[in-house]
Amino acid sequence: MDVQEQHGRSCGENMVDMVDLDEENFASSSSSVTDASFDAVIGCIEDIIMEEKFQQLQQSFLEKHYLEFDDSDENKLSYTAIFNEYVNLVEKHLEEQLMQRIPGFNMSTFIDILMQHKEEVSGDIFDMLLTFTDFLAFKEMFLAYRTEKEGRGLDLSQGLLITPLIPSGSEQLGSSGS
Amino acid sequence: MGLLTILKKMKQKEREMRLLMLGLDNAGKTTILKKFNGEDVSTISPTLGFNIKTLEHKGFKLNIWDVGGQKSLRSYWRNYFESTDGLVWVVDSADRLRMEDCGQELSKLLQEERLAGATLLVFANKQDLPGALSKDAIQEALALDEIKSHHWCIIGCSAVTGENLLAGVDWLLDDIAARIFTAE
Repeated sequence: MDVQEQHGRSCGENMVDMVDLDEENFASSSSSVTDASFDAVIGCIEDIIMEEKFQQLQQSFLEKHYLEFDDSDENKLSYTAIFNEYVNLVEKHLEEQLMQRIPGFNMSTFIDILMQHKEEVSGDIFDMLLTFTDFLAFKEMFLAYRTEKEGRGLDLSQGLLITPLIPSGSEQLGSSGS
Repeated sequence: MGLLTILKKMKQKEREMRLLMLGLDNAGKTTILKKFNGEDVSTISPTLGFNIKTLEHKGFKLNIWDVGGQKSLRSYWRNYFESTDGLVWVVDSADRLRMEDCGQELSKLLQEERLAGATLLVFANKQDLPGALSKDAIQEALALDEIKSHHWCIIGCSAVTGENLLAGVDWLLDDIAARIFTAE
């Protein structure tokens, strides 16, 4: 659930930017054509990741594999194959969506430009893209989904917060208070 | 290579290294990993999958991957080669019967293209056991002097007592740092 919540928050924060990018469109104010199209692609990637469609893609991937994941320190070898599948899925989705939105988009050209902009490659969007390639973050996402799915998340925290204190103290407090 | 993979390589933090720890089963890989991470090593069972620890040492962030060494798992090792800066080959110094097997598995790894740029540290583990071969004997048994393709070093250690683990990792870090970070 962590990941979902993060997306939800970021989505809200970036809402203004996203609208701006959509409306004003690309190639307007930047100094060169390359810069403009670079910024445009980054904006587009941001949009794609925030969209419902992407969340659904992620959701159904989680749904398909979550039973394989256990909360133990040692990882199963099978996680690696699932992880690679996930990275491919995200990459493929990004590329497809970019091609639909930007006429003539070419991933290898974009990657070349990215290399030239190496120094500017920073900020939330890149951090988010990088978490897609982080195995431990990936495992956490699955464990969180499984916990949520099996209803352990909420029950546990309520139980811990409320149950231990009230039964022993409630009688005394109740009688002296009223 | 896709966008995400390339981004990851681009943004790999300067003082971050990936170490891959391999060796035959029962060599002590997981014990080394846990001992180095300050965890309890009294009850360690055979690894059927893999462990990852991320820790800070000498100003570097180390991502250490330890993959199970049983024969049936060795074909999976290759899934973990990518982007490895340092290969830690762990030897059970007391397992004389399998020393040949151990040498063969190591020489297979050294031919792997994706490990071509990695520094090799050989841990001659279990030096605390009475029947253990010395570090020099293992150096000879594994024909380490014939390795020309990789920087290498062998260190006798004991994962259980922790002896020489730091010395080994320090050597590995220094060698990788000298190769990678001064080259730029």
